[in-house]
Amino acid sequence: MSYLRRLPKFEYLAPRNVTEACEYVAKYGSEAKLLAGGTDLLLIMRRRELVPRYVIGLKNVPELDFIRLNEDGSLVIGAMSTCWAIQRSPIIRQRYGFLAETAADIGSVENLHVSTIGGNLCGGLPCVDLPAPLLTLAAKVKLASTRGERIVPLETFFLGYEKTALAPDEVLSEILVPPEVLKGGGAYIKFHDRHMIDITTTGVGAYLTLASDGQTITDAKIALTTSAPVPLRVKGAETALRGRALTDKLLEEAIELAAQEALPRSSWRSNKEFRLELIRTLVKRALRQAWLRAKEATPPVSSDHWLVHPIYSQIGGMH
Amino acid sequence: MKNRVAVSLKVNGELFELFIPPWQLLLDCLRDDLGLTGAKRCCIEGQCGACTVLIDGMPVNACLYLAIEAQGKEILTIEGFGKNGELHPIQRAFVERGAVQCGFCTPGLVVATKALLDSTPKPSEDDVRIALSGHLCRCGCYGQITDAVLEAAQVMTQKAP
Repeated sequence: MSYLRRLPKFEYLAPRNVTEACEYVAKYGSEAKLLAGGTDLLLIMRRRELVPRYVIGLKNVPELDFIRLNEDGSLVIGAMSTCWAIQRSPIIRQRYGFLAETAADIGSVENLHVSTIGGNLCGGLPCVDLPAPLLTLAAKVKLASTRGERIVPLETFFLGYEKTALAPDEVLSEILVPPEVLKGGGAYIKFHDRHMIDITTTGVGAYLTLASDGQTITDAKIALTTSAPVPLRVKGAETALRGRALTDKLLEEAIELAAQEALPRSSWRSNKEFRLELIRTLVKRALRQAWLRAKEATPPVSSDHWLVHPIYSQIGGMH
Repeated sequence: MKNRVAVSLKVNGELFELFIPPWQLLLDCLRDDLGLTGAKRCCIEGQCGACTVLIDGMPVNACLYLAIEAQGKEILTIEGFGKNGELHPIQRAFVERGAVQCGFCTPGLVVATKALLDSTPKPSEDDVRIALSGHLCRCGCYGQITDAVLEAAQVMTQKAP
């Protein structure tokens, strides 16, 4: 990590709506960079890893800041919705509680107020938290440009480290989450050093759907954070879970499959072996929690509490 | 590329017309252009909370916010607390509870406390710890800070009709 300097010079553009934002990126392409919350981009620019000639600020585009439920029960989140808005949203708390919990635990309160879901996805980083729960929910993203709109499954959005399917002339405008299933439950559990502040060492999102008997897993999705160059679905483990009930034996099988599929690297934050151990532990915990929540049918989230902090007593802050 | 652009900022209720570089951070603008040095320049990467200010009532790190993006919003810094030499109840509680040693982190903490108490007038101890989790106190006054916030909450809810 290189020394942080002052921000490089740039020209600031302030579109008032998505159409204008699309026109700017169409005009300036890779010379321009879209600025969402800025918690990451401003630091990247100060390290001179990116020196865009134009910065297109999206903070004052109201069109991108909304959380809405469609008539069919599907959820639409505007790309500039902050993590704060997501964790406070009654719609998300009631239907996708673990997504609200993930957002609440992303950083300090100051950070939650500026960091956005769109910025979290468009950085293309494997260490950010929102992709994993969104992958387990089979979310899609809407990419807008002057050429029109296209909808891409989030799974195919991440192409590599810091690489996404977003073309230089496109703007990620919306995140689409399919309607909640009747007997579904999700969980996201992560390990990180300093609670609320540090980047996730390893995280696991899981979503289980149960048959009407409340036992048989009809669908399972597991996604890992900081375990590969991209946020990663572990499909072998998912397949092993389908059609069976969650027993200790099945859990052991699933965590070994997940560990085999993961491609964690060693970094100063943690070595590969420790990450693999974390993956085993966290996949187990996430599956257990998702299983319990699926059995209870509606994910429990306390709505009267100021902040959701599920990890507080479970893991994290272990020193 | 323009080196300076016209930017108007509303800080502590007062409107300022400025001519600043578009890449100017809100923190630098407050400190260097407006002379409001309460928000501290410390880690400058959103880790320590010493530069916290309120933008439309929300606590944010002024070091991760462009001044140009704060136009049309209400900015509140520590200088906007307390009137006519009278301390704000949060400031008084910090003093009385010994939550201030070197004082470097204090402005950020007081500002973040206001955001907490505005949305949660009667916070639990856990609420306080979570709300202030983005703040580092090098003197290690965390216990006294938590006590001060809880006391301020008590004083402020008693005062309210």
